[in-house]
Amino acid sequence: MTAPGQPAPGQPAGPGRPRGDGRIVVDNLTKVFGTQRAVDSLSFTVEPGSVTGFLGPNGAGKTTTLRMLLGLVRPTSGTATVNGVNYESLPRPLQTVGAALEAASFHPAHTGLQHLRIYCAAADLPARRADEVLELVGLTQAAKKKTKGYSMGMRQRLGLAGTLLGDPQVLILDEPANGLDPEGIRWLRGFFRHLAGEGRTILVSSHQLAEVQEVADRAVILNRGKLVRAGTLAELSAGTATTVVRGPALGPLQQALAAAGFGGTTEPDGALRVRTDQIAHVGHLAFTHGVELHELRLEEFDLERLFFSLTEGEHRAAALGPTGHLPTGSPGGPPTGSPGSLPAGVPGNRQGGAR
Amino acid sequence: MIKLIRSEVLKIRSTQVWFWMLVLSAAFTALGTVGNTYNAVQDYQQGSPVDYYSVFTQSEGAAVALLVLGLLGLTTEFRHKTITPTLLATPNRWQLLAGKAASYAVFAIVYAVFCVALNFAIAIIWLSAEKVPLDYGHGVPGGVGKTFLSLVLTGMFGLGLGALLRNQAAAMVFGIVYFFVLDGLLSFVPWVRKGYPWTPGGAARAFTSNGSVSGLPDDVHLLAPVAGGLLFLAWSLGLLLIGGRISLSRDIS
Repeated sequence: MTAPGQPAPGQPAGPGRPRGDGRIVVDNLTKVFGTQRAVDSLSFTVEPGSVTGFLGPNGAGKTTTLRMLLGLVRPTSGTATVNGVNYESLPRPLQTVGAALEAASFHPAHTGLQHLRIYCAAADLPARRADEVLELVGLTQAAKKKTKGYSMGMRQRLGLAGTLLGDPQVLILDEPANGLDPEGIRWLRGFFRHLAGEGRTILVSSHQLAEVQEVADRAVILNRGKLVRAGTLAELSAGTATTVVRGPALGPLQQALAAAGFGGTTEPDGALRVRTDQIAHVGHLAFTHGVELHELRLEEFDLERLFFSLTEGEHRAAALGPTGHLPTGSPGGPPTGSPGSLPAGVPGNRQGGAR
Repeated sequence: MIKLIRSEVLKIRSTQVWFWMLVLSAAFTALGTVGNTYNAVQDYQQGSPVDYYSVFTQSEGAAVALLVLGLLGLTTEFRHKTITPTLLATPNRWQLLAGKAASYAVFAIVYAVFCVALNFAIAIIWLSAEKVPLDYGHGVPGGVGKTFLSLVLTGMFGLGLGALLRNQAAAMVFGIVYFFVLDGLLSFVPWVRKGYPWTPGGAARAFTSNGSVSGLPDDVHLLAPVAGGLLFLAWSLGLLLIGGRISLSRDIS
């Protein structure tokens, strides 16, 4: 692996990258499978030089959207373009867009090197480029090993190597962290930062929200084929600040907070979650009402919490047990332990137009 | 197109299938050559005319190899999901299909050269050893040329059939059983055997013949070689276009 955290993608050995702004534009994109609208009037833009997280629960339409963007699935209506043109019309696709959609798209009898050289030939790149990108992702030792012997993490790295063959301006990755060990994830994080720093456009679909929050500048959140939120992480975090208060008897404080116009919820363990970033004000109210506090802290923006709140119905439905009750400790449960507690503090949805 | 052919040829070369198919082609070619050369020697020694055309056009053994390679062309892509990176590199699906067809044509020519060389080597050595005069007339050069074309078309036929069926196992079983067993059997089944000359196998057989084919019922008459070649071309192209249309217009999900 090349200098974890500070990878260097290297320069293409072949002809340079085609010119273009590297902007991805999805405009009113819709895909209907039979009677199911997998993607419904979806619009968003991914800006050059940014890492954009593409988030949503299973079945939200992420992969279908990415496949439409890459010309693998034909949209029912709408358009998805890179550099202003659809993928099929790109003059040199691998030199413009690098995409890894699944970790198992390899012929088991091919070695990693053979796999990459095949696509080097198709993209008119010199064969040595395959060796270069294998080195970049730390797979040089396994270059001549058949892919059927690759671990999941090695497959992910080989997929990433494939995206870098043409030194593309745009990278589109579907769950790239799946199967990577912690060191690999740390390496991937640095890799993304480095690539985005070079002005590349990176769209990464992932369910590892903490990782996305670490590397992404922007996020696009889907649910049931529709856009629920899109924007920079700063925009998404606006209005979601929460102050957490714990103490042996918080009743008077709760009343004082309500009287002062603060909204919030009570956790099952008695903690108060107050929708405000005015932590000093909350502390002052506690002091003036003689309330003993054991904890007073501002909870930082948590993409995972926002994600679950926006896609709550989806996850709760999935997490319901056979009796129809939410299992204790279910990861699909609402973020605050109190159904419906957070959405009130979340800015309204902006379906169908995030630009 | 050249880069696409290079990529497709590399795909085939990167597995061992091409090698074992070459071995199989060599075995079939050698077997056919031995049988026909033996007959030629017997005919010569009995004072009968020698069928030089049959002796020197025994390279059709490579047909099964080209059919298999063609069948694998797209079915392997779908089976191992490599169709995704393949289409990312070559988004134009018709261009991809044309590139695959062209790459199998390259392999067909390589296989044909190998099998013709083997065919001629065995036949020449044996005939010379038996003091049978060598004669390359009797339509032999044309027959060799038709072998090349026939193999190219067989590769296209397999590619088209694979594109149509997509499932690798189904395509392999159906393709091989139909082309090398069922199609020939059709020529003996009453009521339907008159249609045999119009089948892909009948057309290919007519094309590679020198106008006279033995072993068929009296009421079954193959087309003239040129007509048979055109019909086989139509079958191969038609299957390729229909298979490509059906298979490649689908969503890759």
